[in-house]
Amino acid sequence: MENLVNIFIRSTFIDNMIFAYFLGMCSYLAVSKTVKTSLGLGVAVAFVLLVTVPVNYAINAYLLSPGALAWLFEGGAAVDLGYLSFIIFIAVVAAVVQLLEMIVEKYTPALYNQLGIFLPLIAVNCAIMGASLFMQERAYASLAEATSFALGSGAGWLLAIAGVAAIREKLAYSNIPAPLRGAGITFILTGLMAISFMSFLGISI
Amino acid sequence: MNKESNKYTFLFSVAMVFVVAILLTLVSTGLQPRQNENIENEKRQDILRSVKVNVSREASREAFDKYITRQFLVNSSGEEIPGDAFAVDPGKEIKKTPGERRLPVFIARVDGTTKYILPVRGTGLWGPLWGYISLNEDKNTIFGAVFDHKSETPGLGAEITRDDFRSRFDGKTIFEGETLVSVRVEKGGKAGGPHEVDAISGGTITSKGVEAMLKDNLTCYESFLKSLP
Amino acid sequence: MNILSSKSRQLLLGPFNKNNAILVQILGICSALAVTAKMEPALVMGVSVTAVTALSSVILSSLRDAIPTRVRIIVQLVVVSTLVIIIDQLLKAFAYDVSKQLSVFVGLIITNCIIMGRVEAFALANKPWPSLLDGAGNGVGYAFILLLVAFFRELLGSGTLFGVPVIPGALYRWGYANNGLMILPPMALILVGVIIWIHRARNKELIEQ
Repeated sequence: MENLVNIFIRSTFIDNMIFAYFLGMCSYLAVSKTVKTSLGLGVAVAFVLLVTVPVNYAINAYLLSPGALAWLFEGGAAVDLGYLSFIIFIAVVAAVVQLLEMIVEKYTPALYNQLGIFLPLIAVNCAIMGASLFMQERAYASLAEATSFALGSGAGWLLAIAGVAAIREKLAYSNIPAPLRGAGITFILTGLMAISFMSFLGISI
Repeated sequence: MNKESNKYTFLFSVAMVFVVAILLTLVSTGLQPRQNENIENEKRQDILRSVKVNVSREASREAFDKYITRQFLVNSSGEEIPGDAFAVDPGKEIKKTPGERRLPVFIARVDGTTKYILPVRGTGLWGPLWGYISLNEDKNTIFGAVFDHKSETPGLGAEITRDDFRSRFDGKTIFEGETLVSVRVEKGGKAGGPHEVDAISGGTITSKGVEAMLKDNLTCYESFLKSLP
Repeated sequence: MNILSSKSRQLLLGPFNKNNAILVQILGICSALAVTAKMEPALVMGVSVTAVTALSSVILSSLRDAIPTRVRIIVQLVVVSTLVIIIDQLLKAFAYDVSKQLSVFVGLIITNCIIMGRVEAFALANKPWPSLLDGAGNGVGYAFILLLVAFFRELLGSGTLFGVPVIPGALYRWGYANNGLMILPPMALILVGVIIWIHRARNKELIEQ
């Protein structure tokens, strides 16, 4: 249990997808202009993460990793399908996003209209794919750990995009040098926020 | 045929899956031996570095055969058991119950003396730590150490891979009389005793991880280390 | 230079200045920055992205009349991931050290917005040859930014370039020290911000309102 909390805290604050690995920057930069839409996108990303990472964990553990096929047939232990992981992970991500898009369109048309083209973009949101790849690379010991990691990463992403969106809303009233407006200042802002998030380094429970 | 028909879409997808699957399998099976060799050679390189033999990765296979005279597995009571020492993953073994552990030992002959090389595995601040410790013939004095890590902080914890940290272990002893005390990693430049080395400033948690790693792993080998050569 | 018509040259070289994929379209920064602490991984990353962008543009452009519209995105993803897997396998076999440094970021080329962006916006509507130039041009423009960021981070953070020390030892004796902050992630973001600033100050028409 303690371990799970640790993984959650760490993936939210320290290994923050945006501040430490810059993952999901594309949609992050495009959507983080107002808090409302960024919250919507953040929740969507967090939800997709929460579904895809455990699914990919199961696929990785029982189908792809070296010797994982041992349960399926005799001699399966010698098979290593690890090289297929990229393509399978991205397929799972694309399918889940498609599903989410249909659900959101049907039940919350207002949100669907606002997020517009960004929902399909989640499929190629690096944070989603990145989380699955990190899950594989860090070799989490159980489904629970992987889920805790997914939850933390999603929360961290939501936190980052909402925080930056709030600052950008206020920035509208600031006198920023013209060439720096928009993307430039957002990068610098994110950099400064990343520095402040570094103060979480070394925290463990 | 109509490009948007179900039949065409289906056939197109099936054809695509076939082409991609065959292509990837060919590439993967073709490159697998080379990839495995890279991983094995890196392991050989690390093992040799612990007895202060520095070779390039390409030359490591030859050098390994030259310096490493014997490799075998022992159990927790220090008795030799059958198995391939090189293929065993020490990280998995240390998680097993003591009775089931298969512990690799590599014996090297350097400058006419025998060295015992033991793998160590542990956890630092962020992720796994690993390395190799080589002991002199007395199975007590450390001859050399090599450490590596997955994701320690650059400039702080990551410094454990550097020579000036590794060399602090040279000549330290792991036994106090009959008791296995391992080597403590002390903060603040106070270390002076035969079982102490200085920690990395700013990398205390990683340094403590190294200390725990040595203690845990050497304890597994305690019976083997106490047995006569 | 008559090998390339002026239009082709525009396609290939356009991304270098006003159309630089990262600076203007702000695409694909995701996977880019985490590998820019050193020049070498940044170079390998840049070359890999260029190869994937160019090849996937050519392949999908040649197939553009055969791909059913409904499965378009999936076909794109499959082609791109296949290329990335091949690159990953090649790196693991022939450039083992770099592949370890790049770790998960090779896999993230798949989700690199530049690739899908160029395929959607250009390759699916154009012939293979212009698509190749467009893909390669964008990939190289991307690699250029990666190297630029990596240049400053490695020079100021480690005092080396491609692992070779370049700061004279005398400077260190006079009290110069490497700036460890440059190696840490936040500086990559701030550097890109500054680069965008300079770029837009010189190309005034790109300034956002």
